[in-house]
Amino acid sequence: MQTLTSFLKMIFLVDLLKGLWVTLKYTPQPAFTFQYPAERRPVAPRFRGVLRLQVEPATGAQTCIVCDQCAKACPDDLIALGGHREPGLKIKVLDYFDFNLSRCSFCGLCSEVCPTKPVKALIMSEDYELGSYSRESQIIRVDQMYDGVPIEQYTH
Amino acid sequence: MGLIDHKFEDNFITTNIDKILTWARYSALWPMQFGLACCAIEMMAAGASRFDIARFGAEVFRASPRQADLIIVAGTVTKKMAPVLRRLYDQMPEPKWVISMGSCSNAGGPFPTYSVLQGVDKIVPVDVYVSGCPPRPEALLYGLMRLQDKIKKESTVLRKARVIPAGASEPILVENQG
Repeated sequence: MQTLTSFLKMIFLVDLLKGLWVTLKYTPQPAFTFQYPAERRPVAPRFRGVLRLQVEPATGAQTCIVCDQCAKACPDDLIALGGHREPGLKIKVLDYFDFNLSRCSFCGLCSEVCPTKPVKALIMSEDYELGSYSRESQIIRVDQMYDGVPIEQYTH
Repeated sequence: MGLIDHKFEDNFITTNIDKILTWARYSALWPMQFGLACCAIEMMAAGASRFDIARFGAEVFRASPRQADLIIVAGTVTKKMAPVLRRLYDQMPEPKWVISMGSCSNAGGPFPTYSVLQGVDKIVPVDVYVSGCPPRPEALLYGLMRLQDKIKKESTVLRKARVIPAGASEPILVENQG
């Protein structure tokens, strides 16, 4: 009896048809694939992307007070910043802000300790498209800290 | 490819052959499975149906270096793994490319220790560094597109090679490469 059942199963290709039925069941469903370069999935609200320096949204003035808290908080010493005082200005003027992206583990401690209010000077932005051709270009200077790392658009 | 690499002057035939060869190279980049740490999970996600690296012709993750064009170094490369990685890279046939994925393989990441290689570019020439800890699957796809863009700018049979110097983003013409 056992052999007869398995023989009939083999003759009528039961196992093969079972497998094909699964394939057929999923065929009419819409495609699950996300067309990445054409559409960009919104990130989670507290997503930690690459670091970004913010300015005052109304005036465009510098918000960073060069307090060096972020550089001290970084577990891998990736941030180096400096500034100078100018007569008549209350805050220090930011001269350089070098951020070594190559080792960064995106923990967010630097932006967590940033004390400026109401606009936080150092934030984790929503940019994650980071692909560079060399180690040198992974050190982000102050102008790229404000504008963000340039992202090539590959949507043709 | 040593017979025809960078051996021909610019003319109608060679430039068209060059275009075809470049197209063939960038549209079927077969990566080698080289997942070492948590970045490998994101690499698997990029290979799965949600992100589908097959849209870029790179879905055939090969277990053998002899059949691969591209090695995605995904994860922490320890000093014990480094000679293995170099041997696998040497076994890959030309032309070959390397994507360094994640902070660990880019520069050692959060492990400045005696046992971790401080950057995979100490042992293999890296074409694209994808930053992130780990990078999202989209970031890996972006890195792959950056690599395809780089391959598009290179030339194959032409004597004048378009190469991208370190640190620059635009290619320059270099005479007499081969």
